[in-house]
Amino acid sequence: MASALSRTVNHLRKAYRFANSHHVGQFRSLTSVPPSSVLESLPLFRSIAPLDFRIPPISIGQRFLFRSIQTASPAGTVGSESAKKVEEAKPDGGEKSGGSSEQGGEPGKPVRGGPVSWLSFVLLALTGAGIIFYYDREKKKHIEEINKSSQAVKEGPSAGKAAIGGPFTLVNHEGKKATEKDFIGKWTVMYFGFTHCPDICPDELQKLASAVEKIKKKAGFEIVPVFISVDPERDTVDQVREYVKEFHPKLVGLTGTPADIKNVARSYRVYYMKTDVEDSDYQVDHSIVMYLMGPDMQFVKFFGKNHDDESLADGIIKEIKQYQGQQVKKGAPTP
Amino acid sequence: MASEAYASRNPDQVHTDVLLQARQACYKARDAFYDCVKNQSDKKPTELGCVGLLYPAECKKARLAYENSCRPSWVKHFDRLYCKEKRVQRLLDDKETRGGV
Repeated sequence: MASALSRTVNHLRKAYRFANSHHVGQFRSLTSVPPSSVLESLPLFRSIAPLDFRIPPISIGQRFLFRSIQTASPAGTVGSESAKKVEEAKPDGGEKSGGSSEQGGEPGKPVRGGPVSWLSFVLLALTGAGIIFYYDREKKKHIEEINKSSQAVKEGPSAGKAAIGGPFTLVNHEGKKATEKDFIGKWTVMYFGFTHCPDICPDELQKLASAVEKIKKKAGFEIVPVFISVDPERDTVDQVREYVKEFHPKLVGLTGTPADIKNVARSYRVYYMKTDVEDSDYQVDHSIVMYLMGPDMQFVKFFGKNHDDESLADGIIKEIKQYQGQQVKKGAPTP
Repeated sequence: MASEAYASRNPDQVHTDVLLQARQACYKARDAFYDCVKNQSDKKPTELGCVGLLYPAECKKARLAYENSCRPSWVKHFDRLYCKEKRVQRLLDDKETRGGV
């Protein structure tokens, strides 16, 4: 089996060399000798292997070329028979020619295998393996990239930051003008509510005040709680002052003109609307949320109504520690 | 307390009825009233509070005290909350008797 393989490979090699050197000459001899059979077969060859091509496809050309040489030399009738054989063999794809080539192979002439030879198998296997290895490598590289990038993201706060916050101009509970710049350098927690709130705002502010105390005790961080009124018509400076001083001495109350309040509520994405308006009284429906803002007045995290003061304190401490850890990495001074 | 609630809308005047003391008093009165209603739940509810809250006549005194301590909008607010709670309770309790969702 192996010997046959090597024999065919050798024959093929010889045949290639043969064809290269004698290609031109053989074709010329073909045209000069016009027995009827060869003339018959000529147009076949023209259709099968265009004679303009000198170099590839050598294998097809040289196969039929040598067939015709063989057949042309003995006699015309034999040539016509084998030419017909060639015609049949071509659609067969090489089995018949493989069979008849066995006869031709015996006298030592180059063996014409079918289009599928052992060499082509080997080439196919090599190419296939090469492709597989290449793509496998590419895929591994790609997966590594994804893993690396996702890890880098996990270290940060999140996938991007929400566009919450912005400049504002309000009046604090002492009657002085207050902008967002007054809170730069400190951590603030902002809560939006109104003083005439029956139960929710008092509970939330109580919770916030208690959380501020807890944070101070646990981690020593100073947090500035801020209360912003969404009911500017009723919440005057005096009203706000009286209101906030009951919760925590550090609680800052902010109010302002309805336009300013509208501005700040919009930049913090806070919903508020007057509901059940009686003759002199009304409630204000609003989103119940606390925003934790960093020392540069950038939005860090929000806390909803579901947190109690313990979890609120823990959440804030965690965020501050994470932020400070990041600052240390960046090499910036921590506030 | 109630008179202050209906005081003229003077913007400079501080509405003390929403400050701490007033709030605490309001909450106390409110709780007292609702406890009364719960205790007397076997009695037939005949009186009508706002927003359709029915309560038995025994609790009328508590009701008046409650309405006096709190702003009217607050009274309404708390009543609404209470009714919602009761409805949910009823839904959970009556599941067997009603049969089906």
